[in-house]
Amino acid sequence: MSGQLLEVRNLRTYLQADGREVRAVDDVNFSIPKGDTFCLVGESGSGKSVSALSVIRLLPQDVASHPSGEILFNGCDLLKLDGPGIRAIRGSQIAMIFQEPMTSLNPVLTIGEQITEALQLHRPEMSDAEAEQRTIMALEQVQMPQASRRFRDYPHQLSGGQRQRVMIAMALACEPQLLIADEPTTALDVTVQAEILRLMRKLQDDTGMSMLFITHDFGVVAQMAQWVGVMQQGKMVEVGPCSEVLRKPRHSYTQQLLAALPENLVKPVSVRPHSQNATDQTPLLQIRDLKVWFPIKKGLLRRTVDYVRAVDEVSLDIPQGQIVALVGESGCGKTTLGRAVLQLEPPTSGSIQIQGQELTGLSARELRPLRRKMQIAFQDPQSSLNPRLLIETTLTEPMKVHGIGANHEQRIELAGLLLESVQLNRDFLWRYPHEFSGGQRQRIGLARALTLNPEFIVCDEITSALDVSVQAEILQLLLSIRQQRNLTLLFITHNIGVVEYLSDRTVVMYKGKIVEQGETAQVCGQPQHPYTQKLLEAVPRLSL
Amino acid sequence: MTEHAVSRESFAARIWRKTLDGAGVKVGLSWVALLVFAAVFAPFLANSMPLLMSKDGVISAPVLQYLSVEDRWVLATFFIALAVYRLPVGSAKRILLFLLGSALAAVLANLFVKPPVLVIYDDFRSPAYTEADWRIMPPIPYAPTDYLRDLGSKGLEAPLATEGHTHLMGTEENGADVLSRMIHACRISLSIGLIASGIALLIGVVVGGLMGYFSGIVDMLGMRLVEIFEDIPTLFLLLTFVAFFGRSLYMMMVIIGVTGWSGYARYVRTEFLKLRKQDYVQAAVAGGLPLSSILFRHMLPNGVAPLLVAVSFGVAGAILSEATLSFLGLGVVDAPSWGQMLDQAVKSSTFNWWMAVFPGGAIFMTVFAYNLIGEAFRDAIDPKLSSKAGVNR
Repeated sequence: MSGQLLEVRNLRTYLQADGREVRAVDDVNFSIPKGDTFCLVGESGSGKSVSALSVIRLLPQDVASHPSGEILFNGCDLLKLDGPGIRAIRGSQIAMIFQEPMTSLNPVLTIGEQITEALQLHRPEMSDAEAEQRTIMALEQVQMPQASRRFRDYPHQLSGGQRQRVMIAMALACEPQLLIADEPTTALDVTVQAEILRLMRKLQDDTGMSMLFITHDFGVVAQMAQWVGVMQQGKMVEVGPCSEVLRKPRHSYTQQLLAALPENLVKPVSVRPHSQNATDQTPLLQIRDLKVWFPIKKGLLRRTVDYVRAVDEVSLDIPQGQIVALVGESGCGKTTLGRAVLQLEPPTSGSIQIQGQELTGLSARELRPLRRKMQIAFQDPQSSLNPRLLIETTLTEPMKVHGIGANHEQRIELAGLLLESVQLNRDFLWRYPHEFSGGQRQRIGLARALTLNPEFIVCDEITSALDVSVQAEILQLLLSIRQQRNLTLLFITHNIGVVEYLSDRTVVMYKGKIVEQGETAQVCGQPQHPYTQKLLEAVPRLSL
Repeated sequence: MTEHAVSRESFAARIWRKTLDGAGVKVGLSWVALLVFAAVFAPFLANSMPLLMSKDGVISAPVLQYLSVEDRWVLATFFIALAVYRLPVGSAKRILLFLLGSALAAVLANLFVKPPVLVIYDDFRSPAYTEADWRIMPPIPYAPTDYLRDLGSKGLEAPLATEGHTHLMGTEENGADVLSRMIHACRISLSIGLIASGIALLIGVVVGGLMGYFSGIVDMLGMRLVEIFEDIPTLFLLLTFVAFFGRSLYMMMVIIGVTGWSGYARYVRTEFLKLRKQDYVQAAVAGGLPLSSILFRHMLPNGVAPLLVAVSFGVAGAILSEATLSFLGLGVVDAPSWGQMLDQAVKSSTFNWWMAVFPGGAIFMTVFAYNLIGEAFRDAIDPKLSSKAGVNR
């Protein structure tokens, strides 16, 4: 076993919360050979992050305890080390990078200062000039353009991908033997993710370090890992070489997870409405030359110096009864477009027509009857429901305003039916949002969008914050609701797998403009525009 | 099925019921209730004249004869409030009825009641009153402005110092009973705190809410308005008004209220700016809900926590503002207030603990009580907190 850099044996981590003990990590065994990448996969709450934090001993002492287990790093048990002992290893031999590049850098220090500080902490003998040299080298190593100039930049001047590069540079500055990466690319766009993953593989080849890579994305696993461990509720249910686990999963949970991936879901082909005659019927929604520009104001008089062109001359038809996927990276204007369609964001110019009725330029009162026809469901299950209101109030209030149901009893009955139609228990009406899981909240969010019996729903990344198995359920639910109610959906997402599974048509946005649109099979199969090609290439695929 | 029955009550009723669930709030509310009771029935609780007496076969009630316009109006308002609370109508109608009734009572009291202008308390100690067949005196047989100098006492007296006439909380330098003054002072302290903060809160929430929700040009203009009002020195404004229009408690309330809303507006604005981008607010807009529902049902309850803390201190601040004015000798002339009593204690040549402890304690208790109520209200609005406390639903 001399080749193993890290060996975790019978690790248990218990967390104290509200007087209860949570077995966050329960008897976990795995080992990482030198120079290899070990991927921990699992859904949220499965204990993968806690396992990694246990290894680097970053869990708060008064909350976490380790009733049993050994963490052997180069043959030395990390759990037995005292404070100074672990600090000597942390950063210099084991380094860690985190998920959120926006918050993991200190905004008031330049990136150079931050990397130098980490460096000099572990190499006190290093002079300032030497440390700066080493830092610039580290920045060059992570392929930061113009590294010596970037040295004096502040974090806010960098993009998300660049910040993650800085984080990696900081972690690698001391040349650690083990890098722990906790969902390092989850917050990034696919194209940036592809670059970062490529960079990490290259750095691993160059330095020969090992990686403990935490992710929930099997596509990323397929690209990065030599070894995979699948975690479920604190237990390691399956460990093995990557190709074996992904191709021939033995444990039922792994099989379940893989089956829930959108690319593996069985498409219900029969339910699709025929779209041959889509050309001769008028589309449900017509968008013409829509612009949503946000002014940039500067100076004492707040004069408008320029505009952020969030949506720029977009023309789009959404045919009745179809699911149109709107794809693009963060900041490309897809969410703004969705909101502008619902008049939640006032358009700068252009026209939006639903069934021939113009939406722009209407007053709130004139708009109210049209609101019934179009609704929205949101991404974040935490903020999509009013935490202060019962589900019953959330669902019946819009009905009351629009005169649906004769009295309160009838509206409650309707709301109960709606909950059942999104496969929830009717009694959930009498609960508050915080009592539900993320998936349940998204269902309730869908039910709310359905209260007014709309014809058109904008789904803004509704599955992005969910685990794959929950995502699969929501997608299937969406398809069945669509069929029952003949709904038209504008499905905003960045997940190509979901697009291929769900949508009839695909629209690709880039920097506020639509660069490509057409039948999903065609756009994803033979992309024409260079950006679409780049986007599709960057998607981490499961196929090895 | 209790679950269903309870859940069908209105939003306001549910919040109110949950507010009452805690233990701390009961302490706070009972103190406030005690103050209300003392404020409303002050002339009957502490007065030099008999409540009821019979002389030569004629039964009379001197207290009723001498009730001032204000006393009558306060009593009428209190009973109107009780009656309206019993009426089976909606809350908006209730408030309207209450306000109308109270205004009507004020008008009637001002038009038709002509109490004796001059009250000579010594008369009530003359044989005309003392040598009755029988008489019922109030529990504290001293009026707040009944200075007992002529009785031969030296004025200042510690609690229970002299036998014969008992002063439970002693007397102040002029010989007036401290407890009696405390009871009559409830009225000023209670009303100035509630009404001044009420006015400030109303203006602050509406202005701040509109600023936060609409942002843009409305926000810019609103903030300038807030800044203008923050620049007005309340004390000097009060001094100016006192100089021009004389001393009036109501004027003080209005001025403290009208100049004090800017802080609340800022709190509400900040919360609303944050909340308006929340998905559930956007969903409410997309659902075509009316603006009042979006502002007051979907946004305000989620942003009210910092406001409630500010208000409970605002009430205390208003009570103290009045004390400051009294300290400067610009308070209401004759009616006692806690601030004025504290001021007396400070200004007296010797330190007399009873003159400071009782009004000071009362101010402390009142501020504390409002804090307790504010906190309970905040917790009641947050379903997460209230379910943790074991009062789920």
